[in-house]
Amino acid sequence: MVDRASVAVVGVGHTRYGNLPEYDAYDLGVLALKQAVADAGLTFTDLDGLIVNRIPDYQRFCEIAGLDPAYVSITPGQGRFSGICIETAAALIRSGAAKTIALVYGNNGRSSGDRYGGARDTYGSGGGGLWFPYGMTSPGAFHALMARRHMALYGTKNEHFGVVAKTFRDHAALNPAAVMRTPYTLADYQDSRYICEPLHLFDYCLINDGGVALILTSTARARDLAQPPVYLRGYGMATALSDSTFPPDDFWRAPAKEAAAKSFRMAGLVHDDISTLMIYDNFTPTVLFSLEGFGYCGVGESGAFVAEGHLAIGGRYPSNTSGGHLSESYMQGWALNVEAVQQVRGACGARQVENCHFAHYMAAAPVVTSIIYGREQS
Amino acid sequence: MTTSPLPSIEGPDKPFWLALRQREVRVQRCGDCMTYRFPAAAFCAHCRSETFEWVAVEPTGVVETWCVFHRQYFEGLTVPYTVIQVRLKCGIRLFSNPVGVEADALRINMPVEAVFEDITPEVTLLKFQPTKGDLQ
Repeated sequence: MVDRASVAVVGVGHTRYGNLPEYDAYDLGVLALKQAVADAGLTFTDLDGLIVNRIPDYQRFCEIAGLDPAYVSITPGQGRFSGICIETAAALIRSGAAKTIALVYGNNGRSSGDRYGGARDTYGSGGGGLWFPYGMTSPGAFHALMARRHMALYGTKNEHFGVVAKTFRDHAALNPAAVMRTPYTLADYQDSRYICEPLHLFDYCLINDGGVALILTSTARARDLAQPPVYLRGYGMATALSDSTFPPDDFWRAPAKEAAAKSFRMAGLVHDDISTLMIYDNFTPTVLFSLEGFGYCGVGESGAFVAEGHLAIGGRYPSNTSGGHLSESYMQGWALNVEAVQQVRGACGARQVENCHFAHYMAAAPVVTSIIYGREQS
Repeated sequence: MTTSPLPSIEGPDKPFWLALRQREVRVQRCGDCMTYRFPAAAFCAHCRSETFEWVAVEPTGVVETWCVFHRQYFEGLTVPYTVIQVRLKCGIRLFSNPVGVEADALRINMPVEAVFEDITPEVTLLKFQPTKGDLQ
């Protein structure tokens, strides 16, 4: 039996992005949630479910926001959790455990001086102190190791990473909310300094402050609200957590293939139906690994694929039309999901993808998530 | 490189660090299914057995990938420096540094062998150099 979409996103909201020392993570979450509630045409009392992400404490958040949801949960501040939270909310709504769920993300990492890499690094499975004597640290280095291996195995070139970075910057130039909006050339990319070779500065995402919120409810309720519903047509998850201290040999292809298959099957769609991609871009190589893993190109072909221009607005699969983590802001997948919703609504202005019926959000990491949003329920 | 960030050798991995002093690479091996594991864990991730011993393994392997740090994350380490990911013959993976080979000369599946580098009276690091006699 084909499982048709029964959950929709009905409200989205986000704060400004950048250096916002006047707000903490709670404040940023509340500001985003106020927007999302207004966007949906709901009130706070309509929310009977809440999942917070990266916000330090759910109880304090509910105190500040004045919420007594029937269901509440809290999730760690890792980017893979945006997809997990959305898929969990959908399951809760389908089960009847909650009717209208708010997902709230607050990140004050920039103004509070968060750093990735160095003595306090805890990336991976609980910290890499064992490897600090060799200088091994940071998620960026982890992805640099994967990038180098991909280059050696498949002939992927540094400039392929550059095409991804430059394309998303071009998109950010069309997005007033993006933090980095000045376009650059491939030569500028090559001239930018190495952080962890083969990755340049422009291969890294942007740590910033900001808050994002989404509101999900059943399709039956969604039809009566302020915005046209954006349906969760399909979603799926898979993991590669055992032995995850080291980069996966397959660049997360196996779990990505599994999560993609689940989401496409549930949606009753194929790749060719998809209008736009929102690809978790913590680092540019992740975009290449995702294109292969989620089935948009063949194994080892992602470098050539991006070089053909498919990810640009006007290309076959316009991707990260907001600028993504690389140029809009590193909101750990949340803002990419908002962009997916806005694209399907047709609300993206200068960066709107024509005839956008389906948007595919994908995140390649030790927990892989795949979410397909659609304008029509079936 | 000057002074590396020191590991804390007083922990579950202590037998590993003590073995490096003796020019040996020791990792845990499950007493039931014989699966190797490192860093130390109370259970075998393959069969969940709690029985294990620390055994010496062949100190050779291959380079799986590498990267070159240009940003300085640790005061004691001078950039640029190279980190390699090595897979030992027994299957255990490690992050380390190459000795006697420039980053430009590294390649995937390059055979390497252990180099034991004493950095303090207590701490020895496990680094790797291209295997001698390897026909390039």
